[in-house]
Amino acid sequence: MSVSKKIVLVGHYGVGKSSLIRRFVQNIFSDSYQVTIGVHILKKTVSFKGEEITLVLWDIEGKENINQTRASYLLGTSGFIFVVDPTRDTTYQNLKEELNFLDRNYPKTPVIKLVNKSDLIDVEEFKKVLAIQQLEMDFFSSAKTGDNVENVFMQLVTKMLGT
Amino acid sequence: MNDSEKLLHLKRLILNEDWNAAQRIFKRLDELDKELPGKMDDIVTKRLDKYTHEIPEKLGPVITQALGEEIKNSQDKVVEALFPIIGKMIKKYIQKEIAILQENINKQLRGTFSIFSFRKKTKKGEPQTIELIKSDIEQVFVIEKGSGLVIGSYTKTATVDEDMISGMLTAIKSFVEDAFQGGQQSLELIQYELYKIHIQNFSSYYIAVVISGPADDSFRSRLEDKLFDFSEQYMKGEVDKLIIANKLANFFES
Repeated sequence: MSVSKKIVLVGHYGVGKSSLIRRFVQNIFSDSYQVTIGVHILKKTVSFKGEEITLVLWDIEGKENINQTRASYLLGTSGFIFVVDPTRDTTYQNLKEELNFLDRNYPKTPVIKLVNKSDLIDVEEFKKVLAIQQLEMDFFSSAKTGDNVENVFMQLVTKMLGT
Repeated sequence: MNDSEKLLHLKRLILNEDWNAAQRIFKRLDELDKELPGKMDDIVTKRLDKYTHEIPEKLGPVITQALGEEIKNSQDKVVEALFPIIGKMIKKYIQKEIAILQENINKQLRGTFSIFSFRKKTKKGEPQTIELIKSDIEQVFVIEKGSGLVIGSYTKTATVDEDMISGMLTAIKSFVEDAFQGGQQSLELIQYELYKIHIQNFSSYYIAVVISGPADDSFRSRLEDKLFDFSEQYMKGEVDKLIIANKLANFFES
């Protein structure tokens, strides 16, 4: 019987949380934007070190600040993916505070910091922007092209279950 | 010998006895200073132990009297503090009992007047209503609160994804409980067409039971008892998903 883990994607609205999950689970992408209301749950079973891991993925509605997110949606989470949109600075300008919020409230839960929509930017240029703001991100991905999406989730699995 | 030396000599001669007495006193004081903490600790500890034992006997009546007077003088405040808690408990209990009573009366009336029901006589000659529509347990999910992950499940027909169901049920439950801000209240029932989902809350998990049929309050009351029994028997300590699934199957098929 496989182990189940709850993963929650957090971040502002429109950063591509739903698209990332759909790309990861169903390998599809749609350009039409549909707002997530409440929460949408999908799952995918992955293999990690010969063991089956069921990832229950919570795609929650985006909020302008993570402290507005319903605490009950975040409880019992094994891993977070914090998603930002590089084309909208409002989605990452308070990143430090929002990550501190997660660290304070879920200190033992690993967090992956992800820049989505990498197909829309010059990644090297954006890294300079991040450096100026003293921000460090773990991954650049694109739900549209599928670039790095699988890696993000597998990296989180590794963080959750140990190397 | 000069004057000061003479004076000192004279002092020694005259005050020798007092000097020695003073030295003895200082010495004794030093000894007491060293002995006292040890002795005092023992005394204080003994007194404290004795006092602790005597508290209920000596202070009990005083505290009871003080509390009694305080409650008497602050009745409004006490009532105000306890009313929401006790009121809620009583209200819930009465509502439930009245609902069961009402259902029993309705059932009796339906049994008496409905052309779809008929009666048979039991051995003792008492009338018994035969139910035409029966409630049945279709699925049972034991779900971890917070994460919404399945701890164990039992289903007659494996048609749906249990991880998705438990996740969505938890999300709906969380949403309702947050949205209506009802304090410690919890979502207990979801109804859709011919099915009802009865939710029994426990401290770290909840059990969701999918029921087909009317599932009246008396049925749900019996189900609640059964779920409490199950929880008491099998949900203690470390729980294994597979074991719980088997236990659920045995428990609900018996």
